[in-house]
Amino acid sequence: MSVAEFMTPASLDDALSIKKDRGAAARVIAGGTDLILRMRDKVLSPSLLIDLRRLSLDGIARTDEGLSLGAYVSLSQVLESADIEKYFPALPAACREFAGPPIRNRATLGGNIVNASPAADLVPPLIAYDANIVLSSTGGERVLPLVEFFVGPGQSVIEPSEILTEIRLPLMSTPSAAIFIKLGQRRSMAISQVNVTTRLTVGESGLPVEARIVLGSVAPLPMRAMSAEGILLGKELSDELLSEAAIKAREEVTPISDVRASESYRLQMTEVLVRRALLATRDELSGSATDG
Amino acid sequence: MTELAVVGKWTAAPGAREIVTGQARYCPDIQLPGILCGKLLYSPYARARIVKLDVSKAREIVGVIAVMTHADIPGENSYLYAEPDQPLLVVDEVRFQGDAVAAVAAVDARTADVALAAIDVEYEELPGIFDPLEAMQPGADQIVQGEDNVMMSQMYRAGDVEAAIASADVIIENTYRTQWAEQAFLETEGGVGLVDDDGGITVYSSCQAPHRDRMQIARALGMPESMVRVITPYIGGAFGAKDEAHVQIHAGLLAHAAQRPVHLIRERRESILTHVKRHPMVIECTTAATAEGKLLAVKARIIADAGPYTNSTHEVLGRTGEFIGGPYKVPNVEIEKIGVRTNNPICGAFRGFGAPQAAFVYESQMDDLARKLGMDPLEIRLLNGIETGTKMYTGVVIREGTPMKESLNRAAEMIEWDKREQCERNPAKHLRRGWGIATILKGTGLGRGLLDHAGVIIEMHRDGSVVLQSSAADMGQGIITVMAQLAAEVLGVDMAAIRVARADTSQSPDAGPSCASRAAMVSGNAVIKAANEIRDTLLSLAVRKTKIEKDRLSLRAGKLTVDGVPHEITVKDLALRAGDWGYPLHAESLVHFEYPDDAPEGNYRFSQEVFQFCTQIAQVLVDCETGQVTVERLIAVHDAGKMINPGGVYGQIEGGVAQGIGYALTEQLIVEEGHTLNPSLENYVIPMAFDIPEIEMEVLEIPEPFGAPLGAKGIAEAPIIPTAPAIRNAIYDAINKPLYELPMTAERILPVPDTTA
Amino acid sequence: MVEMKIEFNLNGKPAQVSAEPDKTLLYLLRDDLGLTGTKDGCGSGDCGACVVMLDGIPVNSCMVLAAQAAGSDVLTIEGMAKDGVLHPVQRTFGETWAFQCGFCTPGMLVSCYALLESNDNPTREEILTAIAGNFCRCTGYQAVVKAVEQAAAELRAANGGGND
Repeated sequence: MSVAEFMTPASLDDALSIKKDRGAAARVIAGGTDLILRMRDKVLSPSLLIDLRRLSLDGIARTDEGLSLGAYVSLSQVLESADIEKYFPALPAACREFAGPPIRNRATLGGNIVNASPAADLVPPLIAYDANIVLSSTGGERVLPLVEFFVGPGQSVIEPSEILTEIRLPLMSTPSAAIFIKLGQRRSMAISQVNVTTRLTVGESGLPVEARIVLGSVAPLPMRAMSAEGILLGKELSDELLSEAAIKAREEVTPISDVRASESYRLQMTEVLVRRALLATRDELSGSATDG
Repeated sequence: MTELAVVGKWTAAPGAREIVTGQARYCPDIQLPGILCGKLLYSPYARARIVKLDVSKAREIVGVIAVMTHADIPGENSYLYAEPDQPLLVVDEVRFQGDAVAAVAAVDARTADVALAAIDVEYEELPGIFDPLEAMQPGADQIVQGEDNVMMSQMYRAGDVEAAIASADVIIENTYRTQWAEQAFLETEGGVGLVDDDGGITVYSSCQAPHRDRMQIARALGMPESMVRVITPYIGGAFGAKDEAHVQIHAGLLAHAAQRPVHLIRERRESILTHVKRHPMVIECTTAATAEGKLLAVKARIIADAGPYTNSTHEVLGRTGEFIGGPYKVPNVEIEKIGVRTNNPICGAFRGFGAPQAAFVYESQMDDLARKLGMDPLEIRLLNGIETGTKMYTGVVIREGTPMKESLNRAAEMIEWDKREQCERNPAKHLRRGWGIATILKGTGLGRGLLDHAGVIIEMHRDGSVVLQSSAADMGQGIITVMAQLAAEVLGVDMAAIRVARADTSQSPDAGPSCASRAAMVSGNAVIKAANEIRDTLLSLAVRKTKIEKDRLSLRAGKLTVDGVPHEITVKDLALRAGDWGYPLHAESLVHFEYPDDAPEGNYRFSQEVFQFCTQIAQVLVDCETGQVTVERLIAVHDAGKMINPGGVYGQIEGGVAQGIGYALTEQLIVEEGHTLNPSLENYVIPMAFDIPEIEMEVLEIPEPFGAPLGAKGIAEAPIIPTAPAIRNAIYDAINKPLYELPMTAERILPVPDTTA
Repeated sequence: MVEMKIEFNLNGKPAQVSAEPDKTLLYLLRDDLGLTGTKDGCGSGDCGACVVMLDGIPVNSCMVLAAQAAGSDVLTIEGMAKDGVLHPVQRTFGETWAFQCGFCTPGMLVSCYALLESNDNPTREEILTAIAGNFCRCTGYQAVVKAVEQAAAELRAANGGGND
């Protein structure tokens, strides 16, 4: 590894100044569970690492709109949050199936986002909840929808002088329900072959007014299957409709073959998992409807 | 016989405290002043000619103490398991991705990496041969110059297979394919080389065969064996891969070249790329039977992809052929075994040693046969099962066949086989449940006709404490515990009184390799023999002291006993007397693995004759839409003869079954044009805690009459063997789809047929 | 490459080491501090052989840079026994044969210890979750579960009379 310097700035301003000065040669390190690996394999060779440990960017706070998560909240911290479980349950569902406890204790939402891997498990649930992220720099902040952050495998719109600092989750209208399903080759420590997050928000008519079908590991970026989503709006959620959406989602994805799965398996599983996730989401909705 | 005091009781391993406190030292933990970091440069290509190899720049780097190529090896530049065809450092042509080209020793890891990068090597890539069938063609490029690509081709016949097939009522004919499997022990291969004061070389080796390592290291150094010493520290697992030598020879070479201590530890990726794997095999099998289900013949053609070098291919194929008929009465066989060189990963020993591939075939054939005849899979196995007195097609006569059917019946009882149809088969529209049986045999010992012996040295001191010196390598399978228990039992002392020294070729006689489930048998018997000599001396002293006849005396729990009743004289008292009266309490023994007197006529070469039997039954749940298989229950009934160390036996069964589940469902090296695409524990998918059910185990203790220490026999390999076919048969039962290829991944399970039988 | 001074609390005592910024905590412990109990099984966070406690939670030390441990509390396998007395789970591991070769054991024990520190009555599911990141090739995990259950029973008995 090539790191010559390691800094632990005491304030966000300090961190942003360093980032501005040093640009792409400086990398932010949060949990490090992906960064350290890439450095070891010489995929990345930063000369400076900026540790954000002292910046307390791991808070979970209620805001008027919903929840504000510090970008470097760990997956374990997500799992401990009653608010996240209550209002955004698909996110902890994804965290529970992520690697194993020692990794969850270090891996962060921000890290998972900034790596911009098409297989990132935590990104689809965040997109399904219409998360916005805050990119900070010495010039101020820019806020954008998470779904617009990704450009390609490992590529995002983040500038070298920027640090991802916050994830904003707007409270969903109710009733809403969301489901996360991951397909992996074993039950822990598995990279997703396919993952699916579905969210439905129902209006006064009792029919969906918002639908999200967000998929991971089946395209160069985490993606929304927007045509499939469109099929569901304003309609009765019959089994046939849900199957139709699942088939549509399959048409929208562009998976590859790799050591974990073939392209054709990923296509098939997209349909299977979207259907299952939509059925489960519908079940959740009827459950919450009877709660009155 | 009086109840045993130590043998058969749950007892912690002698090294338990060291292990749970982190004090146990494995090769990477051996820290010495000035120790250098050794690394090897491996070929990135599956097949290439070395056009240029210039290490001069690497040698000039400050902190680089030694750089070696083949030209710097003082002795023989080859490994030697069976054939000397694998170079330690390649001379002219690399033949698999993982062939070693150069070795460096530097002051630290960073400098070693810089040295490796400074080695100027130019390759001319050559077209590799990755399909055994292509390699077998006449006129194919020779993968090892001067050697046939077909490294072995043997035929074994018994009876008249063609006549039997012609007369059969039913024929089952299938082609089976198995995969490369990785042993994935937690501690990667390593060696620590030191220079002794008189110029000799000592190597701490993470290995299974210290004496064979010594021979190989001395051979490479061009030194007499007396000048080389091999010691095993704690060993973090092996499962066969460390039976053949790996980097310990290079560690010795580098230490010698640098004249300083060197540790050479492989990184995980290197490890997966370079050490021997389980042979992938293609097996065409024809099973012929009567309408009643009685087996008449088995005809098999077995082709193993060995990678470029021989290693243990002959021996592994030998076992596959030996067991291809299963634990059944099969009067007629024709078994063709072909081992082929390719530029794929090298292959060698992995727990089971050819038997898992065979079991996948014969137990799948049995279920296919049962289906065709409308017979219950249990019944057809009981019908054909061997018994005491059965003469196998190998010529071996089964002396104690009881465990075979007992294990079948007991396993069936445990899962309530006859009531399984009352269980819910379709708990949901997309879920189907099924049950499958597999019953197997595996031999212990290296095989008739091979040198298979072990010796130990035991000494009891004046204070009654005991040192046991053995070169049996303990890589976790528990031989140290077994030896301590046997010694404690015979000498009548507590386990705490026994100190088992780590294997050390300068301190103890050759115990042979820890493989073939042989250590407990051969070293165990060696311990009993030596301990009995000391016991006899102690009892003679007791006679002298008490004037009581020897046959009324015994030793137990640290005391002399008379007619079974503890006496006031202790073992310590006797040990002290022995010193005072000049009786040495020192014994050395050498024991050979025993075989019956008569060599069976025309027998299968190197056949084994003490067998482990076991039956496993799997209950699986198949998700018909995703193809994922959950193993809900796994029944394992194993015969151990006599459990010496119950903790170790149950541990070996659980661990073996876990490996079997991986072999069945998810483990495979993905190799393309000789390149391994998944050389990591992330993408070589091994089941972890949530993927393995609670294994329901039972151990049958039907004493092994022949050559067994107190009735015990080896059990180490059997647990991994039936798991894959049991799961395969359960899947067949669940979704009515027979599978003929391992691993049975989700993608291969799909598509699931629409109807069940 | 410039070395950094790193100070932290190791097994209850202050420690101070100089190390390069890209050195992992795993190798700081093993090479610079001579604590070889924590093992390198893969170097990529996949096997758990390197698990230590960092500020009270189990982490893969191969995935933590030494510099990131500055000012923190680190507990390794060497710090689990107190004054030579084994923690119950260390002892029960030996009793149930929850290890064979022992190479995964330090990391496995730290994961189990971490669980028992916060939960002295774990369910089987909770135990499996705690060790879901620890790979063992020898044992098949059942004996580990048993060892943790036995240790938990001992801890409950020791804490026992607290509620009246």
